[in-house]
Amino acid sequence: MTGRARSYNTEGVILRRRNLGEADSIFTVFSAREGKFDAIARGVRKPRSHMRGHLEPLTRSQLHLAQGRNLDVFTQAETIAAYRAVRDDLDRLALALYCCELVDRFTVERAPQPLLYDLLNELLEGLDSDAPLTIGRAFELRILSLSGFEIQLSACALCGSRIPEGDTLFSAMAGGLVCDPCRPKAETGRLLSVRAIKVLRFARSATIGQFAGLRLDEALEREVQRALADAIRQVLDRETNAGRYVDSLARPLRDTGRTAAGDVQWSPPSGS
Amino acid sequence: MADGTSTPEPIQRLIEAFHRLPGVGPKSAQRLAYHILRAPEQEARALSDALLDVKRRIRLCSVCMNITEQDPCTYCADERRDHTTICVVEQALDLLAIERSGYRGLYHVLHGVLNPMDGVGPEDIRVRELIVRLQDGVAQEVIMATNPSLEGEATAMLIQRLIGPAGVKVTRLARGLPSGADLEYTDDVTLARALEGRRELV
Repeated sequence: MTGRARSYNTEGVILRRRNLGEADSIFTVFSAREGKFDAIARGVRKPRSHMRGHLEPLTRSQLHLAQGRNLDVFTQAETIAAYRAVRDDLDRLALALYCCELVDRFTVERAPQPLLYDLLNELLEGLDSDAPLTIGRAFELRILSLSGFEIQLSACALCGSRIPEGDTLFSAMAGGLVCDPCRPKAETGRLLSVRAIKVLRFARSATIGQFAGLRLDEALEREVQRALADAIRQVLDRETNAGRYVDSLARPLRDTGRTAAGDVQWSPPSGS
Repeated sequence: MADGTSTPEPIQRLIEAFHRLPGVGPKSAQRLAYHILRAPEQEARALSDALLDVKRRIRLCSVCMNITEQDPCTYCADERRDHTTICVVEQALDLLAIERSGYRGLYHVLHGVLNPMDGVGPEDIRVRELIVRLQDGVAQEVIMATNPSLEGEATAMLIQRLIGPAGVKVTRLARGLPSGADLEYTDDVTLARALEGRRELV
């Protein structure tokens, strides 16, 4: 981007923060016009910083930046939407952060993706009102297709023949549903029920708001979630940090076998 | 960094050791190493003793996880302190800050904060130790004094969820405007919380 002005305005969602030195932070922003980028906020960890609250992760802000030698520098920031209800609920917060991590991992720097930007804000708005947490599934499916990894749901991912109505094998490696004759060729997969396939098909064309209206029972949601998790793992080739965190909220705290007394090995606080 | 063939091996090793420290680049590491080389032997010995002492003599208090030389630490062993209140902080430095404010209860140091994006979960910080500690029923109130950041709030919410069933009161430090702030630049969340927590002037 050589044609960029020395300073510019852009709107974006803050995806994550990393601390830098004594009082600075680097923020990863997902912007409608600029795509994903990192920028530095100077002195933002001092108590009197003007920008601090406007640059919290999950905030949608109007940003003013000056071009820097390496990374651009924030000069002003003002909140557009703080998505407060998301922050006040542990499960909503975890899902929102998981989706932000997906955006971070599925995008490359400075490549604008306006549709994905809208999708992220739709999700955050949903979580900020009373939409069920299942909208995370719609987000997963849509980010896959917006990034060019559309899951094949109508025809067989291997031979292209029409999939008859019924429980069908879903193979993340093949890229979608696999018809019965092709089943031996798909290396791994899981059997999806007709209902789960219908949910996925609906999510393909529905907005987040429409998907929020869909009532999914727990078993069905888990089925859809596992299939999508397979597909995402296939693309990213790793687990997401926030995804692991979401899982850890669901189970009781494990005994890590650490003894309290005399244990001098402790992990330092992150980011310092 | 200088290559191993021209720099004697002990110096090279020292340079590499310094280089591993946070915030020390290759040039600074070299300067520090050569400074030690020129310095009198006592200075080098004092440094190495201090380094080893901190690893040998400092441990975590078995009660509150604060860093300490004796176990339990001076805060936990002090009978004059209020043993019914536990203030939960992210790191040992935060404890010192709270202590300066005049608080005279007990502490619990988490040694970290939940950070979903970096994969720091409840099992990576000292949450479990807090839960175990609350089982003796002495503590009546747990004050969540994690930072008012996304990560700090997430940690506070998690702990509240985990110890809620134990019947202990969980409170959170007030959030609002810092001294010397400008309303004009204050973000919406902070301002909204400041309004919620407003006080009658007396």
